[in-house]
Amino acid sequence: MKQPKPWWQQPGFRVGIALVLLILLGGAVSAVYLTQIPPEQPIAFPHNRHVGLGAPCAYCHPGTAWGPNAGLPGIDKCWGCHQQVQKKSPELEKLAAYVANNQPIPWVPVAIQPEFVHFNHQPHVSAGIACETCHGDMTKMTVAEPQPRQNMGWCLSCHQKMAPEQWTKLSDCATCHY
Amino acid sequence: MAEQKAPQKWGLVVDLDRCTGCNACIAACSMENNIPFVGEDEVAYGRGLYWLYNKREWRGEYPEIKPAFEPVMCQQCGNAPCEPVCPVFASVHSEEEQINLAVYNRCVGTRYCANNCPYHARQFNYFDYELPEPMNSYLNPDVTVRRRGVMEKCTFCVQRIVRGRQKAAAEGREVEDGEIQPACVQACPAGALVFGDVSNPESKASQMARNQRRYQLLEELGTLPRVTYLKGGGRYGG
Repeated sequence: MKQPKPWWQQPGFRVGIALVLLILLGGAVSAVYLTQIPPEQPIAFPHNRHVGLGAPCAYCHPGTAWGPNAGLPGIDKCWGCHQQVQKKSPELEKLAAYVANNQPIPWVPVAIQPEFVHFNHQPHVSAGIACETCHGDMTKMTVAEPQPRQNMGWCLSCHQKMAPEQWTKLSDCATCHY
Repeated sequence: MAEQKAPQKWGLVVDLDRCTGCNACIAACSMENNIPFVGEDEVAYGRGLYWLYNKREWRGEYPEIKPAFEPVMCQQCGNAPCEPVCPVFASVHSEEEQINLAVYNRCVGTRYCANNCPYHARQFNYFDYELPEPMNSYLNPDVTVRRRGVMEKCTFCVQRIVRGRQKAAAEGREVEDGEIQPACVQACPAGALVFGDVSNPESKASQMARNQRRYQLLEELGTLPRVTYLKGGGRYGG
């Protein structure tokens, strides 16, 4: 007579273990996908404080008004205000060091597009899209944090919602991919 | 064949009686669109990558021999043979611009479109080509740098079309005739290439395309090309 298999060799147990492992792996993958880790910046710039004081986004990122790139502020822009502000934070000491050496601040871009996507800020800003629609609520961030789930479906859902009369143009591949 | 109609927008007119075969259009196209330099050896094998090539023919008998030039780029067919064969819709027709698009990020490299193109307008990146110093600093940021295994072709410089339209919209006006120029049109020293909106009968390109000298490449295939060639009696230099 054939001996019954021990419990750890039963097919039901093995299939169950495989399913649990698959679910855990899927969860880990989606957690990695949805967790956006902000890159380390040369200066831990407190966006929340600046926005809270009422600085408009376009003051430091003026390229949004005329071109594809928003632009990152250089030492002149920062120092224009901060040379008159008392330097008591260690982050401001770093800024003062960059200014003293006349070196550009090596900011790390956060909201980056893949190479085959050509995004232009200007039409979006002209259409009255608020910055926080895509970049998140800056009053709650210190350094800029990348936003999860910004894929093509996300772009298209907004295009469809905001301007259905221009759907032919706004859903055209050549609008962004060339 | 009964005359077929299709909506059309952008069109290019090539006046071959003005073309001197200087190849400035090819150089401008390569620089504008980040077309890789395949190197001397590959060109010797006939594997040069050009979105726009100059088809040269010798006409007549020696010593009465004359060159004839025909710059050939993607004809942006209204009824394009490349489009229905693509399994992943990387070769799609733009409803807005009425041109054929090559969507690089969709392309999986089956090369069906190039095999079905009667104009040999499509080029395939068989390798990752190295750009020699200092050419790697000249890359146009407005155009994707294609990687290996991707089909590419002339886009009528759609990046310039999009940028011109966005610029006009920002200034609150319509796009003017002649404002948007592909790189080849801009570079042509003889003014042999004219680009414009051929849906507007008043544009310069439409007016030139109504010329008696007009013909289109392989018209009998019914591909409805958007590129019109003008060729007259064949007098040169006079």
